[in-house]
Amino acid sequence: MMDAADSLDDLMARCALRDQRAFAELYRRSSGRLLAVAMRIVRRRDWAEDILQESFVNIWNHVTDYSRAKSAPMTWMTAIVRNRALDWVRRPKHETADEDLDGLIENWEDDTPGPAQRLQAAGEAGHLDDCLRELSGQQRQSIALAYMHGLSHSELANHLGEPLGTIKTWIRRGLEKLRGCLEARGAA
Amino acid sequence: MKITDPRGRSLLAAEYVLGTMTGKARARFELWLRSDPGPRREVASWQERLDPLSGTATELEPSDRVWRGIEARIAPRAAPRESWLGSLAFWRGSSIASALAAALLFGYIALTPKDHALTPDNAMVVVMADDRSKPAMTVAWTPQDHGRPRLRIRVIGHKTMEPGTSWELWMLPGENQPPKSLGLITTHDTQYVEVPPGMKAILDQAAGLAMSVEPERGSPTGLPTGPVLYSGTRLEI
Repeated sequence: MMDAADSLDDLMARCALRDQRAFAELYRRSSGRLLAVAMRIVRRRDWAEDILQESFVNIWNHVTDYSRAKSAPMTWMTAIVRNRALDWVRRPKHETADEDLDGLIENWEDDTPGPAQRLQAAGEAGHLDDCLRELSGQQRQSIALAYMHGLSHSELANHLGEPLGTIKTWIRRGLEKLRGCLEARGAA
Repeated sequence: MKITDPRGRSLLAAEYVLGTMTGKARARFELWLRSDPGPRREVASWQERLDPLSGTATELEPSDRVWRGIEARIAPRAAPRESWLGSLAFWRGSSIASALAAALLFGYIALTPKDHALTPDNAMVVVMADDRSKPAMTVAWTPQDHGRPRLRIRVIGHKTMEPGTSWELWMLPGENQPPKSLGLITTHDTQYVEVPPGMKAILDQAAGLAMSVEPERGSPTGLPTGPVLYSGTRLEI
């Protein structure tokens, strides 16, 4: 019996035993969020759905490796989806949707609730929102755009109108600061 | 940045998770991840650290076809198909390739406005992908063309033809039917192939197309003998 109280962990364990109903339930619970993750990176619904499909086939095939990953099920699945989406947008022949990217950047700049506020609104941010707030705006923006929308260094450089080296420095310093801050607060 | 330095290692893992590590560096790092639990731990930590950012997007409801496709692919397989046909990637349902087919098709037709025979509301297209689902060639034709039907072929990838070999295009009629040759093609970006008489009707219903590497004058047996470089399923759009 599928129980609403089954945790994602339980579902994963049953998937490892080749329980297809548990897998259907896992899909039902997580596909909405994972599709959104893919969609933000590839920016096209049909591509995002293909990535979701490939990812779930992959999840089913590798669910026995999950226990080794030692992360939360959603984190593990998100990483699979993000990796596929990133591979997809880094394909040499990928047609880039530049106007979309421009719009994206503008949105980031204009948005009154910035990523940090959105994080807080999402209510699951732990310390990440506080720590993102400690970064400079440029560091925060570069990291968020790269993580959420899959922008590469050069795409960030093009779209933020800064030299490549500057972008790389922002990201590196931002990441180091972020890690320092999260560790100081006892998070991951 | 040295890989032996813990600070550098953590940064590498962070850039890997962020996605800003690309190309060869990414491939190298992935190799390293497979063999070493150290960087795997770093990567897992960064995934946990940044994961809350993934929850900030509004959830989207996937269309039904996504789950249907997953179900079809995780269900126990039916009896394996025969050798050559069975080896074609597209029989296993290469959904990325077919989605890309639609994407490419619209771009492709938009780019060829003078080619009035290929209108978006009535065209058959096969996007032929290589073994990594990367589109390498598109073939298009119009189903209502009864005059001198021909296939328009665009070679997208830039694979070179080995000396002494040829590329032969095959129609795959479908279940349990042997492939039928459509003739030899070249590596030119754009080319046309006349459909042999009597094959048009079968072509319009074909499962897909494939391209194999054959001896200089084509397959001596009337069936593919060499490796299949590209294959794809037919889409009617």
